[in-house]
Amino acid sequence: MLAEAEKRGAKRVTEVQLVVGKLTFLGLEQVRFAYEVLTKGTIMEGSKLAIEEQEGIVHCSNCGYEGDFKYEDDPLYHVPVPTLKCPKCSNTVKIKAGKECTIKNIKMLV
Amino acid sequence: MIASKKEVIKAEEGEIYDVELSEDLLKENQRLAEENKRLLNANGARAVDVMGSIGSGKTSLIEKMVQLLKNRYQIAVFKGDLTTTIDAELIARHGVETVAINTGKECHLDANLVKKALQKLDLKRINLLFIENVGNLICPAEFPLGSDKRVVVVSVTEGPYMVVKHPFIFMEADVVTVNKVDLAKAMNVDVKKLEKDVKTINPNATVVATNCRTGEGVDGVAKALGL
Repeated sequence: MLAEAEKRGAKRVTEVQLVVGKLTFLGLEQVRFAYEVLTKGTIMEGSKLAIEEQEGIVHCSNCGYEGDFKYEDDPLYHVPVPTLKCPKCSNTVKIKAGKECTIKNIKMLV
Repeated sequence: MIASKKEVIKAEEGEIYDVELSEDLLKENQRLAEENKRLLNANGARAVDVMGSIGSGKTSLIEKMVQLLKNRYQIAVFKGDLTTTIDAELIARHGVETVAINTGKECHLDANLVKKALQKLDLKRINLLFIENVGNLICPAEFPLGSDKRVVVVSVTEGPYMVVKHPFIFMEADVVTVNKVDLAKAMNVDVKKLEKDVKTINPNATVVATNCRTGEGVDGVAKALGL
């Protein structure tokens, strides 16, 4: 990001928009913490980190279903556990979205 | 870190400039993984990634698989660990080419480390590669390596809730082995329940009960992998 901003002659980066899939192993609090540490002393220091969470999307080749996962919601798990079972026909689905970590855009002052 | 291929557009002094990037930070590993797979397949080889907890029996499974298959396949093994070549030596004594990958501190293998290890192999001389990941049920799920199939080893000594506590890695698995079944009774763990937990998360995964000490069930793993 820094290289990109410098290449474009930015004086300061004001905001970065990040898209983080819900199936990644990224802890958003840790991402924010790391961002703050890494940007210190650079033209990105103090910039806003806007994180948009991307829901998981699955596709079923059997019945054509496309949408959210089927979750297992046993109280034992404490959090709903996503599964690869199609919510409509119980076939195995393929993951279409939710595993990305994308820098969507950067706002900078030139 | 990020290099956009888009043309640089100049903005006026003091203007807020909004740059669309759409750069996926996890894509680089994905790209390298696909490159590894292409390289292996182009040389007539396929790879199996073996994942699982520390001490679940990944090395034992590979040892037994090597013994079972070494007359039918030209096998090589990559063995990932933070330090030491202890396990790599265990595998190498079966007469197969073994490359130890020491990550130092990293808790998983990534496609770049596998790419480097592939450069040490004469790919013309192998047609089956086992890649043993670092013992971990969390991070390896995020990093494809370029394998054709992924195996997760879970052992009954890890307790009855190992599968439900780590759903994401089981979503990645083609084959799951429930290992150390000879100890199930002593551990008061129901092997059938572990199998059901896997099937709930990933109906497509094949579950095989194994005892990698004796070799029980290992032929079932080979069969499930199409070997």
